[in-house]
Amino acid sequence: MADLGPGAAAPGNPRGGAGRGVRPEPRHIRRVLVIWAIATVLGIALVLNLHRLLPGLLPPMASSEAQGVDFTLGFFTVLAVPVAMLVWVFAAYSIATWRVRRFEGLDGPPISGSPVLQTTWILSSALLCLFLVVYGLALLTNVSAAPPGRLLTVDVTGQQWQWNFKYPSRGGVTTTTLALPVNRPILFRVTSLDVDHSFWIPALAIKIDAIPGEVTTVYAMPTREGTYTARCAELCGLYHSYMQSRVRVLSAGGFSSWIGAQERVWGRGGG
Amino acid sequence: MTAPQSGRHLLGALGTVVVGAVVVVGVSGLLRVLAAVPPTLRARPVGVVQTAVGPLTRASLTLSTYPDSLAGEHGSGGGAHPGWVSYGPTTNLWVPAHALVTVTIRNYDGATTLTDPFYGRVQGTVGGVEWVNGRATRGVPAAQVAHTFTIHMFPTPGQPLLDVSVPLPGVPASTPVGADGYPAPTVVTFQFRTGASGRYIWQCEDPCGTRVGGFGGPMSTQGYMTGTLVVGHG
Amino acid sequence: MASRWWSQSVLTGVPMGVVTALVAALLTRAIGGPSASDAAICIGFVGWAFGFLGGMGAFRYPRTLLLARPDPTAEEEHQLAVQGGGPWRYFRFTTDHKVVGIQYLVLGLVLFAVGGLAAMLIRLELLRPGAAAFPPATYNTIVGLHGIIMIAGTIIMITGPFGNFVVPIMIGARDMAFPRLNALSFWLLFTAVPVLLCAPFLGGFPTGWTSYAPLADQAPPGMDAFLVTILLFGGSVAVAGANIVTTAITMRAPGMTWTRLPIFVWGAAMTASTLGLMVFPAFMAAMVLLGLDRTLGTSFYVASGGGSAWLYDNLFWLMGHPEVYVIAIPAFAVIMELLPVFSRKPLFGYRTAVASTTAIVGLSVLVWAHHMFVTGWAPQLNGPFMLTTEMISIPTGVVFLVAVGTLWRGRIWLTVPMLFVLSFLWNFVIGGMTGLYLADVPTDYQLHGSLFVTAHFHYTLMGGALMGFFAAFYYWFPKMTGRMLNETLGRIHFWVTQVAFNVTFLAMFYVGLQGMPRRVADYSAQFAAGNFVASIGAFVLGAAMLVFAYNIVSSWLRGQRAPSNPWHAKTLEWQVPTPVPLENFEETPVITSWPYDYGAPEPTPEGAAERAPA
Repeated sequence: MADLGPGAAAPGNPRGGAGRGVRPEPRHIRRVLVIWAIATVLGIALVLNLHRLLPGLLPPMASSEAQGVDFTLGFFTVLAVPVAMLVWVFAAYSIATWRVRRFEGLDGPPISGSPVLQTTWILSSALLCLFLVVYGLALLTNVSAAPPGRLLTVDVTGQQWQWNFKYPSRGGVTTTTLALPVNRPILFRVTSLDVDHSFWIPALAIKIDAIPGEVTTVYAMPTREGTYTARCAELCGLYHSYMQSRVRVLSAGGFSSWIGAQERVWGRGGG
Repeated sequence: MTAPQSGRHLLGALGTVVVGAVVVVGVSGLLRVLAAVPPTLRARPVGVVQTAVGPLTRASLTLSTYPDSLAGEHGSGGGAHPGWVSYGPTTNLWVPAHALVTVTIRNYDGATTLTDPFYGRVQGTVGGVEWVNGRATRGVPAAQVAHTFTIHMFPTPGQPLLDVSVPLPGVPASTPVGADGYPAPTVVTFQFRTGASGRYIWQCEDPCGTRVGGFGGPMSTQGYMTGTLVVGHG
Repeated sequence: MASRWWSQSVLTGVPMGVVTALVAALLTRAIGGPSASDAAICIGFVGWAFGFLGGMGAFRYPRTLLLARPDPTAEEEHQLAVQGGGPWRYFRFTTDHKVVGIQYLVLGLVLFAVGGLAAMLIRLELLRPGAAAFPPATYNTIVGLHGIIMIAGTIIMITGPFGNFVVPIMIGARDMAFPRLNALSFWLLFTAVPVLLCAPFLGGFPTGWTSYAPLADQAPPGMDAFLVTILLFGGSVAVAGANIVTTAITMRAPGMTWTRLPIFVWGAAMTASTLGLMVFPAFMAAMVLLGLDRTLGTSFYVASGGGSAWLYDNLFWLMGHPEVYVIAIPAFAVIMELLPVFSRKPLFGYRTAVASTTAIVGLSVLVWAHHMFVTGWAPQLNGPFMLTTEMISIPTGVVFLVAVGTLWRGRIWLTVPMLFVLSFLWNFVIGGMTGLYLADVPTDYQLHGSLFVTAHFHYTLMGGALMGFFAAFYYWFPKMTGRMLNETLGRIHFWVTQVAFNVTFLAMFYVGLQGMPRRVADYSAQFAAGNFVASIGAFVLGAAMLVFAYNIVSSWLRGQRAPSNPWHAKTLEWQVPTPVPLENFEETPVITSWPYDYGAPEPTPEGAAERAPA
């Protein structure tokens, strides 16, 4: 590039290469697009069957929020396949087709860009991005609002390294196991007494930080009965790994009798 | 690159990998030694008791809580942090499976108000009570609690819950100091039942440690106000 | 000056640093009493840094300025750059940018070795459930050390060694704009390392590298070592950043217009300006406030005293997110720099690539709160931050177009550096795509704080950026050391790394999706299979890095002599002899074309003109 190289002493540099003139150049673009289409189809088939290949890939999706997350994870992955394949197939095809064993002093064609291609690429990625934002905003609006129905409020308190759960509508009954009625909207009001924690129930796909001095909130609508786990998801010191609680999603009747029993124990007093 | 050169290089690379593996093992061994895992206190089975839930092994544990570290596992010098509150004689505990465990804790420390009054309640013990100096109680007001003994949920699936938590009332400030340098203790006794074997964590939930929130120092260090509890056979 | 071999080197710096540290710490303790122990530790570490730099002779020039003494003569400047020649100049306050580049390279590799050791220990603990290897406090400290060492290591890994060694030559300069600041930036970084390594002996720190307050307020004195480390490191980064930017702006040779500037210089300069000058100070401020909380009992982050944990989160991520791009952009730049060389084609869309890099830098400072979607801070801003975060994928995507466009119809020469360039294309696509799930707020509610996030940022920072470092390392090593790296070992390193990396972190995506949190010492049996695979993959990855380490040492000592332009590249650093002379160029070069005009109509000067390797 500069005026100090060894000078233009190289022998003739026949551009294009020797063997290429013999038979007509294959239609690379058409070939690679066909490979890309096949790879995309195979990739999407793989994505759609991933949960069969990997048992327990996602936690049991036991809330309406979790079902939305479950769908979105799969949907985004399906969208990602053609984009990823575009890069990989074009790169792999280039390597397979135009690889040289050793340096021969030959250069490729002096293509330094394609304004049309660059503009198309940027515009289409912008469109994809716009779609993702709109989709995300719609989903966000959906999970940020209270689900319909009679709301049950649970106050969640994190303290190194245990959660406890208070039912203010039940005389302040407080427990270390969280029980929830199925198909009823829940409002969690979360706080911490010491350091940052994060209240996460993977099966319900909800998470909100527990911040000292603040009350943060999150809604959930459990849709499937079962026993799950609530974990701390923010490194909170020595026993962060063990800051877990059992979560039971019960039938309406099961929840009534559970909370009734807790109320009797709680009513006997203490503290 | 010629063949002998190539062989020498591969041998050298392999040697480096071996040396690296030795370094990893060596450093992890060193870190384990530095971590000074506390010894384990075993609750010896002492016969069988018939209960409403069937025959259970009877076992007992005796622990103490001190306002410093001079009387427990850290030796009379107090180890690295003589001023830290501590449980003694150690904090790693073992109790038999399917047992009725009687725990006695002598608390020599004064009260620190709980950050969460919830931990003033007795939970998960037989009868929902603890005996404080021989008197049964279901709970202690937050301001009178010195420490708690609280067993945690553990992530192993299928392992039974052991949601035991008891408050230890503080020694009143007016209590005279005895010959051992401590006031006469508050003696707390309680019983809990174990199920199948499992591993648990227990700790104090009273902000009796150092720094922000009172959960620094001894509260965040195994061998002081926190430890492990293994429920096992044999 | 500096005539005796021992004077003003690490041999005087270390003792002076240790003595100053002890005096400062003991004095503070004596004045402040037992409650000042955290202050004593902090002040002691700062004392170490000042004492060390004093012992190195770093303050001679500022003293000259302050006392209005005559400026150093040209001869003295020359002496400062040469330091008597020989290996000992690497242990001195040497201003030659090539010496500083080598110093950064070696220190960076040492950091990777220590951080990698920590990674092995982490995977040892997670090999199976039950926290069998270490108790949780030890584990937490190992996680924090791994995090901060790797973050620091990856921040400096490209702009440190190659930004210093290569950038001035690439732009036709004789040295950096501020040679003394260059030496200062390295030695300031050097002082931070022993401070951090003291942390495990001061009770460790339980916070991870994010050092979230108020947990950091509560942590043992190891936290003091951590926060002083950040202050020293931040100082080093600021000095280095100012230097690289000024160099790129003011030191270009005649004819080196902005549109002829090698893409690597663009990347290094923009990174340096963003990180050192704009974003890292936020982390330093966060650490100063933390230090005040810990030493003087203020309550910037303590809610009961009117403080806020959200304040810390914001300050941290104001640095934290631009910072990951600051790690990635130099790697993008390396990828784009090497692709034309090994495809023998012009860089595809050079101006678009420069514009995209600029756009990434610009947007990177507007996305920080996507790390705070689940903190509950300003939920009304979750939507806007989702927008900015997803927007950044547009200029990032351009890098892939540039890459594929350059490869297309090229004459692709699969050297070891080129293999790493290509592995970047695989890994960073996965890293980038998985970022979309985290940018989308509702899916982030599920994935945040899980090992999915850990796998994602390892795909970008390790699978992406570190592969860029390896490419740069194999590419520029011949110019920097005069030796070629062994190619067989290089290929073994590449293939084992690429396979083991993907095994390790795909398994980590799996357990993250299953619902396993990050940074846990112990976990439930449902995550056992994925963790076992990840650990085995990590151990193999560690073995690959040891092959690399052996290759570096054996090739540096006895490797094949490198020709001055083994890759037949066109940028200026390959047109000067190896080893590069002190002044780089006999006379200032005049630039007449851009560096990627491969396949230009006139015959290229490479090929037969180049001497065959000896």
